[in-house]
Amino acid sequence: MALALILLCFVAGAVLCLLPYRAWLPGAHLGLAALAAVAGSILVAELDRGTLPRRWGAVALRLDALSAFMVATILLIALLALWHSRGYVARELARGGLEPHQAGRYYLYLDAFILMMLIAVVVDNVGLMWVALEATTLATVLLIGLHHTKEAIEASWKYLLIGSVGIALAFIGTVLVYCDVSILEPAREGALDGSRLLEQAASFHPAFLRLAFVFLFLGYGTKAGLAPMHTWLPDAHSEAPAPVSALMSGVLLSVSLYALLRFKPVVDLAAGADFSARFMIGFGLLSLGIAAGMLVIQRNYKRMLAYSSVEHMGVVCLGLGFGGSLGTVAALLHILFHALGKSALFLLAGNIQQTCDSTQITQATGLLRRLPVSGRLFGVGTLALLGAPPFGIFFTELAILRAGFQAGYLALTLAAAALLAVIFAAMLAHLQRLLFGEVERAAAAELTVAPAAFALGLLLLLGVWLPPPLARLVERIGMELMP
Amino acid sequence: MNPAIVYLVELGSGAILVTALAVIWRHSLQAYIGAFRLQSFLLGAVAALLSQLQGSLELLGVALLIALVKGWFIPRFLRRLLARVGSGREVRPYLNVAASLLICGALVVVAYSATADLVAASRLPTRNGVPLALAVVLIGFFVLISRRQAITQVIGFLVLENGIAMLALMVSYGLPLMVELGVFLDVLIALWIMQVVVYRIRDTFDTLDVTRLKGLRH
Amino acid sequence: MAWWIALFQPLLALLLAPLLVGFIAWLKAGAQQRRGAPPWQPYLDLRKLLAKEAVVSRHASWLLRTTPGLVFAATVAAAALVPAIAVGLPSDNLGDLLALVSLLLLATFFLALAGLDPGSAFGGMGSSREMTIASLAEPTLLMAIFSLSLGAGTTHLGRIAEAALIGGIGLHPSAILAFVAMFIAMLAENARLPVDNPSTHLELTMIHEAMILEYSGRHLALVEWAAWTRLYLFLAMLANLFFPWGIAQTLAPLALIGAAAALLAKLALLALVVAALETKVAKLRLFRVPELLSVSFILAFLAVAASYF
Repeated sequence: MALALILLCFVAGAVLCLLPYRAWLPGAHLGLAALAAVAGSILVAELDRGTLPRRWGAVALRLDALSAFMVATILLIALLALWHSRGYVARELARGGLEPHQAGRYYLYLDAFILMMLIAVVVDNVGLMWVALEATTLATVLLIGLHHTKEAIEASWKYLLIGSVGIALAFIGTVLVYCDVSILEPAREGALDGSRLLEQAASFHPAFLRLAFVFLFLGYGTKAGLAPMHTWLPDAHSEAPAPVSALMSGVLLSVSLYALLRFKPVVDLAAGADFSARFMIGFGLLSLGIAAGMLVIQRNYKRMLAYSSVEHMGVVCLGLGFGGSLGTVAALLHILFHALGKSALFLLAGNIQQTCDSTQITQATGLLRRLPVSGRLFGVGTLALLGAPPFGIFFTELAILRAGFQAGYLALTLAAAALLAVIFAAMLAHLQRLLFGEVERAAAAELTVAPAAFALGLLLLLGVWLPPPLARLVERIGMELMP
Repeated sequence: MNPAIVYLVELGSGAILVTALAVIWRHSLQAYIGAFRLQSFLLGAVAALLSQLQGSLELLGVALLIALVKGWFIPRFLRRLLARVGSGREVRPYLNVAASLLICGALVVVAYSATADLVAASRLPTRNGVPLALAVVLIGFFVLISRRQAITQVIGFLVLENGIAMLALMVSYGLPLMVELGVFLDVLIALWIMQVVVYRIRDTFDTLDVTRLKGLRH
Repeated sequence: MAWWIALFQPLLALLLAPLLVGFIAWLKAGAQQRRGAPPWQPYLDLRKLLAKEAVVSRHASWLLRTTPGLVFAATVAAAALVPAIAVGLPSDNLGDLLALVSLLLLATFFLALAGLDPGSAFGGMGSSREMTIASLAEPTLLMAIFSLSLGAGTTHLGRIAEAALIGGIGLHPSAILAFVAMFIAMLAENARLPVDNPSTHLELTMIHEAMILEYSGRHLALVEWAAWTRLYLFLAMLANLFFPWGIAQTLAPLALIGAAAALLAKLALLALVVAALETKVAKLRLFRVPELLSVSFILAFLAVAASYF
């Protein structure tokens, strides 16, 4: 019931966009998002009571703790993005960056994007999950190229091609998994259901599943922004409009990791836990390394945030690779905290871009004077994302490093810690250039800061105190993921 | 297990691989579209033969869909796009034809060795086509990364998708119908979006040479 | 008895080759709505050339004088290795695939070298072009037949044909790839369109003709006869290695006559295909030829990969 309401909200939003653009459209979307968020909390409560549906007609659903967690995260960030979009779109219309019909299409694609992400995390059939993820790629391409600038078009082309190839590789992995399933039993009804795969995992051929996992990892890893398949990420996330960047960076990357997480227990049972662990640790460390390198030479603050996303996805992968209850739980919480922090930062970056008309760091100095509130929040947010206490990310990063030591990967964990330190120094240097500097205080326009402030406040709160429902939820996920 | 049908399927798989090579060999975009069209028809024919082998009506439907959408609709769509946007020839690719063909030969060997376990363990009569399917995927991928014109990259992507469809057919007689339909829909929408972006590239950059898209660095 | 048949095969090659080439030219003429020369014209050409005096350039060395005989001998020796009307002959043990290719390459090599010998411009040009093509076509030929030998378990051509008869490997899909590859290699090695126009004498387009421009009289007769026999050998290989039905497995006279008839039929069919192709396609520009040969090489390579794995 709650799930139906959630999906209906965004379908309604999409339908509204088919009408000609009216000034109440952003407000309507905000209302729908709030409604969906309320329904999301009902969903989590239903999970606790165990009354979630298993099927919707012909489609099998998989609403376990991980799905509920992802749904909650998606809805939270969607709320923030649509909240911020009101002010963002109004300002863009005012200063001529967007035409009204473009604004209508912006909301249409945004609704489709969120809807597809929600579908991806609730269906059981991994084939349909793939279809939904491909649909998110397609919905976001046009969002990235919304402003018809040269950079935006270049970014959207690269994203389209690399994303499509990545998703095609993931499809090959899905086909190979299906091949193994169909060898064991010729029945096709529900053969690709994730829950069924988990049950049959022990009887799969290890070699098949290893080959399939390689393709799945490369494919979904491309969508998740893991190096070296991350080349689309800085372009796409920096050229997209701010709320879209927030959603993509905060949630879409995590949804791609979710897809990988659905296969990980199956592969672990069939081919041994070492195989996937090695992949995750290796690529996680590589992502950290490449992000560190590119962050040092960075000159564009939006691309800086994008590479920071690469880094954090690397951290999550490390956590999942190190494993154990500590590593897994920390990685999942890190997904939530990163979503909060990164979306706040991207929303604020949107404010900065609209004021300074450029995404170069050298053009956006003196933020403490130019944009007192946004600038300060940006500083706080960056520190939070770098792992400063008492924000949540400090605790999860520490926990992941501890998990690494516990699992026995001494050298690798030390390397990860060193890279995190390099990233800390690099981003702090860029932050200093952004915040300080002599600029005349220009007339500050009406900027939306409430969503970003809310997100950062939530991040602070969750760092200090984990509410019991959330703690229970994450514990359940940890238990489900460990076979 | 009708041996004649199995033989024809093997023949069809080989022919599909050869049409994939045609994209590397020829120079004009019209030839690429023609090769893709032939490849899609062959794929539809192979799917129809497999539906005969398995006695599945679902698979026959998929075969018809492949022939209709990929064999007729998409080439027509590409031809119209080409007429409105393009130049007809591939702009000096990064590698010359002979080197590209040699690399494709190496990719075929890679495909064979990667799927050796799979072929050995599979009990389906179509198992000999599995390495060929993976080879088509790799060749499509190679076309995508080694060509400079945007439309050629799109064709490389379409060849990649054909290869994956062929893999699904060879390895498990296709996927459940719902998933197949979803995949078709995705490919069509992706193609439509690619067309939109190609128009935008042409309008903004005045060329379809993607090496000119170098604004975003680091 | 077997040895007589074995020695008869090269003789058959020599006898049939001019007819084959004349037949192809006659078919092309018919397709082009011309009357053209009768199919036995090459025999008359040979008789004419053998009667004429051989004029040799003052600047030529012993190479020019000995090459025709060498090329002729090499081609006749190669003809002994190709199964034309019978398999299971003792000549099968004389040499295998590698020996055949080496003999053909020997002939090409000396032709090219002798093209350079008299120091004329055309000869050198033709030689360099011929070596470019040969260096790409020879590996293709090797690979194509090698893919068949992987299936047959032997590289002796007679035994490959025998294995094909018994096991029907000629119908394997990889064999079709090998057939196409070898067909393209045949076009390249025998100076047929679209690689080289056998009847042109324009300096921009000559390859084979340029190399043999300096020969006359009996020298020219030997070189031309060797070239025709070469084409016959290639077509006989295409016919008998891939479609070996009709070939005699015993030495009974009836079987041999049947085999000869089958051979004639298959050669006629292949000649038809070659003539149709030559009428339809235009000559490729020279720098496109390596692309075509790369394609044929890759096809042969794919055939080997498919047979190997």
